[in-house]
Amino acid sequence: MAIISADANETIALIGARKARSNLTKARIRWVIAVLVAVFLVVCGRLVQLGYVDTDTTIEGQTRDLISATRPPILDRNGMEMAVDIRVPSLFAEPRRIIDVDEAVEKIRTVLPDLDRNWLRNRLEGNKGFVWIKRELTPAIEEKIMRLGIPGLDFLTESKRFYPGGSEASHILGAVNIDNQGIAGIERSMDKEDVALLQSIGLARGQALAPVNLSIDLRVQHAMHDQLADALVRYQAVAAAGAIMDIHTGEVIAMVSLPDFDPNDPSTALVEGRMNRITSGKFELGSTFKTIAFAAALDSGSVRIGDSFDARFGVRFGRFTIDDFHGKHRILSVPEIYKYSSNIGTIKMMQTMGKDNYRAFLTRLGFDDPLVTELPERTTTNVPKTFSEIVAATASFGHGLSITPMHMLAAYAALANGGNYITPTFYRRTPEEAQALYRRVVSPQTSAEIRSLMRLNALEGSGTRMNKLSDGYRVGGKTGTAEKVVNGRYVTNGLNLNVFASVFPLDAPEYAMIVLVDEPKRENAQSGDTAGWNAGEATGRIVARIAPMLGIAPNFDNSIDDRLVPNSMR
Amino acid sequence: MIRTLNIVFTLTSIAALVGVYALKYSVEETASAKAAIEHTISRQEADLSLLKADWAYLNQPAHVGPIVTRHVDQLGLQPLKQAQISSFDIIPMRPEAPDNDAMTALFESLESGNDPADAPLQGLQ
Repeated sequence: MAIISADANETIALIGARKARSNLTKARIRWVIAVLVAVFLVVCGRLVQLGYVDTDTTIEGQTRDLISATRPPILDRNGMEMAVDIRVPSLFAEPRRIIDVDEAVEKIRTVLPDLDRNWLRNRLEGNKGFVWIKRELTPAIEEKIMRLGIPGLDFLTESKRFYPGGSEASHILGAVNIDNQGIAGIERSMDKEDVALLQSIGLARGQALAPVNLSIDLRVQHAMHDQLADALVRYQAVAAAGAIMDIHTGEVIAMVSLPDFDPNDPSTALVEGRMNRITSGKFELGSTFKTIAFAAALDSGSVRIGDSFDARFGVRFGRFTIDDFHGKHRILSVPEIYKYSSNIGTIKMMQTMGKDNYRAFLTRLGFDDPLVTELPERTTTNVPKTFSEIVAATASFGHGLSITPMHMLAAYAALANGGNYITPTFYRRTPEEAQALYRRVVSPQTSAEIRSLMRLNALEGSGTRMNKLSDGYRVGGKTGTAEKVVNGRYVTNGLNLNVFASVFPLDAPEYAMIVLVDEPKRENAQSGDTAGWNAGEATGRIVARIAPMLGIAPNFDNSIDDRLVPNSMR
Repeated sequence: MIRTLNIVFTLTSIAALVGVYALKYSVEETASAKAAIEHTISRQEADLSLLKADWAYLNQPAHVGPIVTRHVDQLGLQPLKQAQISSFDIIPMRPEAPDNDAMTALFESLESGNDPADAPLQGLQ
């Protein structure tokens, strides 16, 4: 350190050639490392960036999965297809890839001439990534468009719902919109349950979904549809509807409401008057209510089937007098009151039981609340909360309160099957499952008495026309000819709502049926216009056609009818 | 020593390179074959769905019913009547033992050249 001079600020470094080379190498290595690190950083950055890119998989606001989503096939109880999915091509365009819009427009219109030229040009111009041109085409058209060789046009396979039966089961099945979402009927209720969820998470693709079995029997459905369409013409009615239910399991075997619509063309459902009259129409069902009143009275124990009531004079409420339509004006036994459909007798029976007991019985039959089945189409009932004397009197023969025909059908089923109420269903239900849901509404004895009354009415009362047509199938039922209420008043222009509620075969009851014919006219000059002539005859024709399908053999043995009569009636 | 090792390594690398490329191309080929098969499958599934729908449509009572109605006259069809339905129960059972006397009588009549089965046929002519 002693030799440091004054100008020793400059350090003199002597580097050997070897060291110099070593330093140069180190510098080069550092550069290489730096470049490599930089390259890797760029690569990593790009990877992160790619990770953040949100590819647009939606098609005009919907995910691709939802568009190609399938729905489960709907089968009837015997495995016949009621609704199936077909895969159809849909034409879309990518406008940003189209070179010559005018040429494309002209070429497309050679295959699809119904497309509007200006609309199509507007659609294809611009810089969009995806526009639909026409959805749900046929494979033949797909082939033709492909042959045009226009860039930027392509097809996407969509699922389209197809209903091979056309309008036949329209009110049960409902319909789907163009995006394959249920908008009515069973289709809608399936969506509410789980299909929509499966579709949204993309599981419902291909043929993966297990088919859904309905309780409907397509053959019975067809026969009923056929006969009601016949009734519509034969009686020049404005509407006709009907439903059949298995009284032990509550399975609905068929349900028709005319006029109906074609589910393959859902917009036809919106036409006025095409609603489902069975589940979402409420009506005053007239004398079919007498069966309910009889069951209530007999089950309460205050009226016995052997009793008689004075039906000589009308019942007076203030300035109103209620009289009989088919007046006998004598003392009538309970079966006679039913047979002649005596309003006076029914009122007397209801009064013997007490109006509050009658009101409570209607609650027990579920007439207060909407009947909840799988169908979304349902409506509230219109039954007064409490009954005054006159309201109770009219309610005993079905005036002044309205329920849906489905309510009535379920009630008849309960009264005939031994007294167990079972909610109707459109899906399969085994007898064991049904028994777990049973709710007792009347005693088995009352049920037996009601069955014999219904059969008696078919043999001797207002159901004879029906019984002639369905001879041998032991059908019994009750007619109802109800004046229609327009703006809160009854209209007595001869246009009624005619109902026939029935059960068959009565020796071993299996099925309950209700048939409505709205505003029927006389078939010819000799015929009448009460329910026995139209709704009754239609019921008879339906039973004659469907009983063999349902495995019910005709039996002409008269002793069956005798055996139906319970001991209490002899 | 190192020289031989280098040669071995070089040859191995070349072999690996060729192998990897071969694998890559074969995978690409398989992938495109797979894509083609998938396309065929989806095409066939679409066709199948149409055929199934056709089958369902042709089997519908709604489709068969009108055809039957149209040919009612040609085929002489009539709705089934209740009286036409019966069960096996009402058909009398076969007798337990053969009726020997009747058989003897039949054979005797056949031997004498008199066939009882011919009688109704002759009535027709």
